[in-house]
Amino acid sequence: MSDGLFKEKVKNFFKILCQTEWNATVTGLLVALLSILIMAWWRPWGAVGAIRNWGEWILYGIGLFPKPASVVVSSGSVIGIGFVAGAFISACLGNDFSFKFPPPWELVKAIIAGVLMGIGSALAGGCNVGGMYNAIGNLAANGFTMWLGLIIGVVIGLKYIYWEMEHVTWGTSGGRNFDFPYALKILIGLVSLGAVIWGAYYYAKQSDDYVSSLSGILIISAGLGYAMQRGRWCMVQAFREPHMTGDCTLAKSVALSILVVAMGAAVLKYAVPQRGSAVAVQSVLSDVIDEIDPDEVKDEELADTLEDVVDAAEQAVVAARRTLDPVNYVRGTFGWGAIVGGILFGLGAMFAGGCGSGTLWRVGEGQIKLWLVVPFFGITNAIMVKWFKAIHMEGVGPMHEGSKLGIHLYLPDALGYGGTLALIFFAMGLWYIIVDWNEDSNKLIVEM
Amino acid sequence: MSDIKIAPDGLEVARTLDAKGLSCPMPLLRTKKEIEKINSGEILEVLGTDPGSRNDIPGWCARAGHEYLGEKEDDGFMRFYIRKK
Repeated sequence: MSDGLFKEKVKNFFKILCQTEWNATVTGLLVALLSILIMAWWRPWGAVGAIRNWGEWILYGIGLFPKPASVVVSSGSVIGIGFVAGAFISACLGNDFSFKFPPPWELVKAIIAGVLMGIGSALAGGCNVGGMYNAIGNLAANGFTMWLGLIIGVVIGLKYIYWEMEHVTWGTSGGRNFDFPYALKILIGLVSLGAVIWGAYYYAKQSDDYVSSLSGILIISAGLGYAMQRGRWCMVQAFREPHMTGDCTLAKSVALSILVVAMGAAVLKYAVPQRGSAVAVQSVLSDVIDEIDPDEVKDEELADTLEDVVDAAEQAVVAARRTLDPVNYVRGTFGWGAIVGGILFGLGAMFAGGCGSGTLWRVGEGQIKLWLVVPFFGITNAIMVKWFKAIHMEGVGPMHEGSKLGIHLYLPDALGYGGTLALIFFAMGLWYIIVDWNEDSNKLIVEM
Repeated sequence: MSDIKIAPDGLEVARTLDAKGLSCPMPLLRTKKEIEKINSGEILEVLGTDPGSRNDIPGWCARAGHEYLGEKEDDGFMRFYIRKK
């Protein structure tokens, strides 16, 4: 073995891991894997949960909102922090990070984008991740309506951008870039990686079960941010490119990724709760305890203990159900809510140049325009969600009874798990075929 | 993904587009529009800071039939060179 050769291979490994742009298909599969892992950990990931929590803090800061959950305790916010940190680490190690200051008109667009995305994600019950990617992945009908809305919104947005290029001349040039030496970026990237790992250990050490569970949430979201920045995996691009240049690489990758998440979610949701130890323990216990009425037990201490045991078993079941509960990401928006929400969100994402997740990883890359999208997105969404809650826009309770935005439909309730997976396979397959056909025929391209 | 293609020295540029600070999809759309303003065989230079352009511009050139000549690293931004078909 020659040392020179080995050194070269180590260098190549670093290059592939940290510097080259990852292939879209591989990135899509990694994102799907991490999405399934975080679900198995205990919740699906999303972007708007973080952005809303941060928006609530701004509103609290100016005295309009009550004190929201801490940014390091709200699981949504921890996902956002992990995700941005992962993207930042990737951008530093890959020499993509720099402060990219856009021309002034782009900053105006960022504000409009944030407001549209905030309203859209409130109507749809999530951004492109929670409302579409993970919604379809979690077998929720509302994911399909947002998907449809996003396509329409992105095409309208593209027409707007063509119009803007002809008619807006103010503030469209003069962007600036502040770069740093690459060695410094590598150092900062490694320090940030260390900070994420330290953070995960710090969470894991906490005595509160919920807080200690955030360790995995932080690490997995950092993995998602890293993978998505490295592969420049952008869902708005998947929706936009087929109509802009015809390129369908990302659209195909997103279709495959959604299908894989759906398969993972079906396994977790169908199989695990039935075999889950909590359910088993509870059923055995309730069989035994059914024969004993704690009220009739003479020994008071024993009666208390029995009651505690029953309570604990019930709580364990609630916790197990919450982890993989079909209710996760099934929203009462299968109807006009997710369609109009998807349209507004898609339009906003076109103004922003990034969807919910795409905005966050570009934040980690130093794109100042997206830094401005986030607070406006967060504030608008926080206000909309609060208002919707007050007027019961999305109905009441986890089943969204009486939702004015649409229906709460968990697809397996209507089609069974097999039927649901077949539907998702068919829909994603059809999307794949259409964008592939369009890449050669150019029939769906919106001309400039 | 393929390695970065470095542009040869001494290219005679017909027109320069400043897309610095712009993010996806603006650099590519502005490039598409700007290339209409030069003649066939002439070279368009695009100044950009979006790492996504490294993939978008060569990909679009291949699709649209223009010749992608490569990029050059400048002080905090990249220069991309395209010969119009």
